[in-house]
Parts: sequence; structure tokens; C-alpha cells
Amino acid sequence: MNRSSRVSRWVLLGYCVYLVLPLYWLLTMALRSNADIAGTFELLPSNPTFANFAEILTNPVWYQGFVNSLSYVVLNTLISVSVALPAAYVFSRYRFLGDRQLFFWLLTNRMAPPAVFLLPFFQLYSSIGLFDTPLAVALAHCLFTVPLSVWILEGFMSGVPTEIDDMARIDGHSFWFFFTRIFLPINRSAIGVTVFFCFMFSWVELLLARTLTGSEAKPIVVVMTRTVSASGMDWGVLAAAGVFTVLPGILVVWFVRQHLVKGFALGRV
Amino acid sequence: MGDCALVNSIVRGITGVFIVVGLVACGQTSDEASAPSISAQAYAANAERWVDSEFQPSTLTRDEQLAELAWFNTAAEPFRGMSINVVSETLTTHQYESETLAQAFYEITGIRVNHDLIQEGDVIEKLQTQMQSGENIFDAYVNDSDLIGTHSRYGYVVALSDFMSGEGADVTSPTLDLDDFIGLSFTTGPDGKVYQLPDQQFANLYWFRHDWFSDPELKEQFAARYGYPLGVPVNWSAYEDIAEFFSVHVKEIDGQRVYGHMDYGKKDPSLGWRFTDAWLSMAGAGDQGIPNGLPVDEWGIRAEQCRPVGSSVSRGGATNAPAAVYALQKYIDWLKAYAPEQAPGMTFSEAGPVPAQGQIAQQIFWYTTFTADMIKPDLPVVNADGTPKWRMAPSPHGPYWEEGMKLGYQDTGAWTLLSSTPLDRRKAAWLYAQFVTSKTVSLKKTLVGLTPFRDSDIRSQAMTDMAPKLGGLVEFYRSPARTAWTPTGTNVPDYPKLAQLWWANVANAVSGQVSAQAAMDSLAQQQDRVLERLQQHGTLGECGPRLNEERDAEYWFSQPGAPKPALDNEKPQGETVDYETLLSSWTAQDAEMAQ
Repeated sequence: MNRSSRVSRWVLLGYCVYLVLPLYWLLTMALRSNADIAGTFELLPSNPTFANFAEILTNPVWYQGFVNSLSYVVLNTLISVSVALPAAYVFSRYRFLGDRQLFFWLLTNRMAPPAVFLLPFFQLYSSIGLFDTPLAVALAHCLFTVPLSVWILEGFMSGVPTEIDDMARIDGHSFWFFFTRIFLPINRSAIGVTVFFCFMFSWVELLLARTLTGSEAKPIVVVMTRTVSASGMDWGVLAAAGVFTVLPGILVVWFVRQHLVKGFALGRV
Repeated sequence: MGDCALVNSIVRGITGVFIVVGLVACGQTSDEASAPSISAQAYAANAERWVDSEFQPSTLTRDEQLAELAWFNTAAEPFRGMSINVVSETLTTHQYESETLAQAFYEITGIRVNHDLIQEGDVIEKLQTQMQSGENIFDAYVNDSDLIGTHSRYGYVVALSDFMSGEGADVTSPTLDLDDFIGLSFTTGPDGKVYQLPDQQFANLYWFRHDWFSDPELKEQFAARYGYPLGVPVNWSAYEDIAEFFSVHVKEIDGQRVYGHMDYGKKDPSLGWRFTDAWLSMAGAGDQGIPNGLPVDEWGIRAEQCRPVGSSVSRGGATNAPAAVYALQKYIDWLKAYAPEQAPGMTFSEAGPVPAQGQIAQQIFWYTTFTADMIKPDLPVVNADGTPKWRMAPSPHGPYWEEGMKLGYQDTGAWTLLSSTPLDRRKAAWLYAQFVTSKTVSLKKTLVGLTPFRDSDIRSQAMTDMAPKLGGLVEFYRSPARTAWTPTGTNVPDYPKLAQLWWANVANAVSGQVSAQAAMDSLAQQQDRVLERLQQHGTLGECGPRLNEERDAEYWFSQPGAPKPALDNEKPQGETVDYETLLSSWTAQDAEMAQ
């Protein structure tokens, strides 16, 4: 092994440690009591406890927060991908009056900070009875995830030769058959990437989710604020909740990992 | 079909998530379904069960408790089956309400309560959103009485005095006993009406290591160095001497580094509370008057006939007066010279538990909400028999302070009803608010959360029995001295808008970017600008701000009271008092009052 490759290995190892350290710290904090966390510096918990995880798993408020968050995140992902797929197909295959302007307009929604839309969304959803429902948050997030999805998918779909469309037509396949059985599988990596981005945006977004919910659809990020109180911070429970909030992201990455890698390599992300 | 692998993966993933969501939701549903179905006859039996199994001890007899619960049962009849949402910050007291009392209330009245717990800042945000939008987000809020000046002016909050005698008369408990609430004056507006119902109460006191202060060797060293005995500091000079003594001269006890002071200084909203709660009044910046100085309060805001007229010295306020600048400077000096190295980077929540780790000798600004966490066994600050090594005592005062002034902070989290909440939901929420503060449950709640709010509970035998383990909490609440500890008062017309100005200005001074004088000047100007805007809006009625014309500072310094001119000597002779002597004087005063 030459010197430069040894150096590269050490650099890579250092980078991995840098990435993993916060996660490791989160996990060890979740396994310690508050007195322990505030009292001593330990790399390995000397008195590990599962009390913090037990609190999360046994207290309905905590797991209901996860259920609420998952509900609107899944809803948002489903809506975004199902709306963006035909839209992206049209943008990639047809030229029509104002197509570029429309595409750009979609993207401009992505450019505005979520805070801009807080008040209109709050008033709109309050007036139609959607306030404090997972659907309200999912729809609000769609404002950002639909343009993102269309943009990602359009990039991939434009790379698929139009001859495939023509061949399917010549072979006598209906458009529906072509779209669902031929075109979508070709773009599987794009869908994987899109699902990942929609899921992660919605999962970590706090501002809209907090403002558009009260008590019934309260997301996990808001439940986590209950660890801050006038009698100090509940570090252990906060860390345990943090560990659980990382899990859905890991699950999504696990399901779409192969397509995600291809998608990153090929697409416009 | 291999091409469909991704679609299959996604479908599997989403199905998996839905299954989990579905299972949990079913679990919820089945929980609800398996909850005992409540018939009208069952309510009385439920009440008996709760009284016997949970609501003991109480200052009421068992029969009185059952009679009180029977009233709740009858009053709740029109609202049976209703589900309401209420919210409060996270405190042990509110956790008890949310997890135990809400369930009891449901089983006794048939009204389901979702008692939500979120961070205090978020409670205020939801409250403001509801006030400004008129949309009902929560049916009731537990909100600190610091906002009394805001609530009494804006008209969004239901005046409970009117509600209890008007549209809420049929749902107001005959055994509520308002006079028994020790924080009622904090929730009363300048118009004499009660706007909020106290639910829990805590104070900010002086905290010290009684075991170290009683150590003969340390006492001797201190007396030899400073010329007066080591004890509970009466003034800031003594506090400063003791801080220096432990941080600079003693340095180590039993091989461990010790500090004579603890505080926090991170640029964070909690830095604002450190000042607006009481710090300026402890230094003596305001005027005499309880619960808040009049005409100038501890924010330095001057009010005339309930109208705020300015906070700069040039307008008759004291936010940038010498006493206020002195208060900020002392805070910075002590934080840098005597507190642990990491203290300036900490927030309120991070700094609070530090004294429990056993390195701190005293803390001038300590919240009693940390009591429960400071009496846990195996802590370095707790004896083997479970009694604390520490005590709490009255806070020392600065050189500008005079008798009759506010001496510390005490606040009550209080039930707040908004007029934008539909009447039937408001009535149901009012029933719940009265239930969790009723004498039937209040003593038990106090013993769990250690945030006493009823005089009858404080004087109960159960509190006497618990007193030795609480380091002076019970003695403080029983003493007449506690009236000098108060929350933000009615001079502050818009707490959220004004409070946010403090932490940024203070932080600039802590970091050394500007001097203490410049920071307070800037703060006073910003406060006056907010007051001016409120004046221009003109929506706050007869008690809305109307700024004084600016005048030469000397004019105001020559007037009696605040703003006070600079003292020639801001460090008079240190003065201390023996803790046991202090305690016995409290007990004697209390006995005198009882007679």
C-alpha cells in the first residue's frame, strides 16, 4: 500500500468518525439518566438505562406524535409523487404555450421560505375546517415537494428517448399500459430519489407543521419541545426521541437505496 | 417484473408504514373502546374511587371532597361526551394534571380533556395566534401571569370576574374559594378584575450550601478575611464577598473545584427572563410598591394612572437609570469572575441543574422549580437521610433597594380563557380549570409538583411533614415575606413585544460588544419605540401607553423615587444573617399573622 492511499484511508476514516459521532452521542445520551448526562463526561455509559426509550414507547403522547408525523409525511409523499409523475411526463414530452414559464413558476414556489405561507395557510385551513389535521400539513408541504418532484422527475424523463413512447404505440399498447408498465419502471431511480426528498422534507419541516396543528395532529417535532421546561431540560428523553426520529429516514433510504445511488449519479439532484 | 422492483419496494415500505400507523391507531381505538363505559350512576362511584385512591391527603374531609365532586358531576351534565383541548408548559405539576387529573375528570364528569404539554414559548405562540386570528386553537391555556398587563388591555381574554357572575355562573364552583389562592393579586388587572385562575406557583430565591456555610473552619476564614460572619447575604456586597471567597480563596473542598456563584449568559430568549423577572428591582431600580413598583416598575417602565408613559430616564422611566446599569454590570462581572467557565455559554435550562452537581456554594437567582430535582437521593447535595445539604432563603438586595420594594420573582401559571373560544367549550374548560385547582385535589397536586398555590395547602399538616426535605420552600411560602416576590405587573402593556427586546441587548453587553450603559440605553429606546407604536395604534383604551415628552435626565433624578441618581458608593458594607435566625423570625411572623 503506498503512502497516498494510506493517507486517503485515514482521511476517509476520520470523515466517517465525524459523520457518526453525533449519532453515537445521541444514542449514548438516550441511554443515560439526566443526572448522569449533566454530571460526568463519558464515552460509554457506565450506568446504561432504557428508561428514556420506555418513556417514549409507553407514553401515548410520544407515540401519537410519531403517528401524526408519519401520517402527513406519507400523505404528502403519495400526493406529491402521484401529482408530479404525470406533470413531469408532460413537461418532458410536450411543448405547449407557456410551458417553460409554467415550469419556472413551479420552481419559484420552492424558492420562497415556508414562513411566507404561514398566515395564508393558517387562515385558509381554519376557514375550511382542515386546521389541526394531517391533511392540512401534507397539502401545505405539497407546495414545496410537488415542484421539487416535478423538477427531479422531468430531468430523468427527458433523458428517456421518445422512441420508447413510439415503439409502445406501434406495439399496440395503450397509453396507460405504457406509462405504468414500461415508462415508470424505466424511471424507477428517479421515483426513488423523489420519494426520498419528499419524505425527508416533510419529516424535518417544523414551521408549517407546528403552525397548522393544535393538539389532534401535533407532530413529533412539537412533542419534543415538551422536554424543555422551567425545571430544566429532559436531555435523555429528548435524545431517545431523536433516535426514533432518525429511524424513518433510515428506513426510507433502506427501501430505495439502490435506486437512490443511481438517481444521484444520473439525475439532476 | 424485476423492473417493478422499485415500485414494489415503495409500496412495501408505504404499506409497512401504514400497517404500523394502523396498528397504533387501532391500539388507540381499542384502548378507548376498552375504557370503562360511563353511565350516569357510575360517576359517583368513580368519584369515590378517585378520592380514596388518589386525592389524599387533602385539606377537605372525605365527605367534603365527595360533595365537591358531586357538584362537578352535576354541573358537567350539559357537556357530557364533549372533548376539549387545553394546553400548558411542561412542569411536573402539569404532567400530573395531564396524565392523572384529566383522566379523573373524565371519569367523574364525562368530559374528555386532552391536556397538551408543550414548551412555554410555544404556548405563548399558540395563545398569540388565537388572539390575533380569532380561531379557536385551544379551549383554555395555562399562561404565566406576567402577561396580566397584556390581557387586561387587549380585550381578547375573558375577565373571569365577569364570567363567574355572568354567563359562566352555572359552571362556577361554590367551593372555589378565590381568596385562598395566594397568587390572585398577580392575575388581577388594574381594573380590579380577575383575568386568570392560578394553577401553580413558583418563586426565585437565593440558594446556598447550608453545610458549607455551617462549616466552622470556613466560617472562621471568611470572618477573618471580610470582618463579618459567613451567612445568608442580606445585600449584594455580601453576596459578592461570598462569591469571591469560594471562587478565589477557598477554590477546593474535598478535592473538588468549587465556585461561589452560578448563572447563565448565552444569547438566548431565556436570558431575558433573567432580567425582566426581577433583577432590576433586586438592585433597586424601580419604586416602592407591592406587587410592582409604582409609578416605576422593575422593567423601568413608568406608568401614570395605569398608562405607561416611558422607560427611558428622559421620559421618567428607569430602564437606563444608574441602578439598572449597575444591575447589568454586576451580573456580567459576577458571571465572568466567579461562575464556572462554561456558565456564560449556558441557557436557563442548562444552568438550572448545575448546583445539584455539588460544586456551587451559592446562587443569587435560583428558581424553586428545580426543588424536586435537587432532593433526589444519591445527589452530591443530598444527605444520606434524604434531607438536603442546601437551603433556599430570601434574595439579597442591591444598594439602590429600599424597604417596601419588590425583592424577587414569583409567578403563577394561571388558567386563561379567550373570548374567541365558543361558550360551551369555554364552560367545559372552566370546569376542568376549577377541578384541577379544587381543594379536593390541590394538596395532592402540590405534593407531587411542589408548586403551591393555595394558602390552605401551604398550612396543611402534610406540608409541615414534608418541610424538612424541601430546604425552606414551605417556610418561605408560610412567611409574610413572600409578598415581596412578584411577577411582571400591569405597567407592561404588551409582554411578548417588549420581553423580546431584553435578551438581545443584554447579550450584547455580556459579549463586550457594548458597555452596560449603552446596552440599557438602547433597550430603553427600543421599549419606548414599542410603547409609541402601541400609542399610535390606540387600541389599548384608557390604559394604553401615552409617552411623556423627553426632558433633561437631571429633572427626573431630582424627583422623589425612581429613576434614582447614581450612588457615590455602590458597595456598602456586606451584611449577612444567620439562616436559623432568619427562619425563626419567619416562623414568629407567621405565628403572629395566624393570631
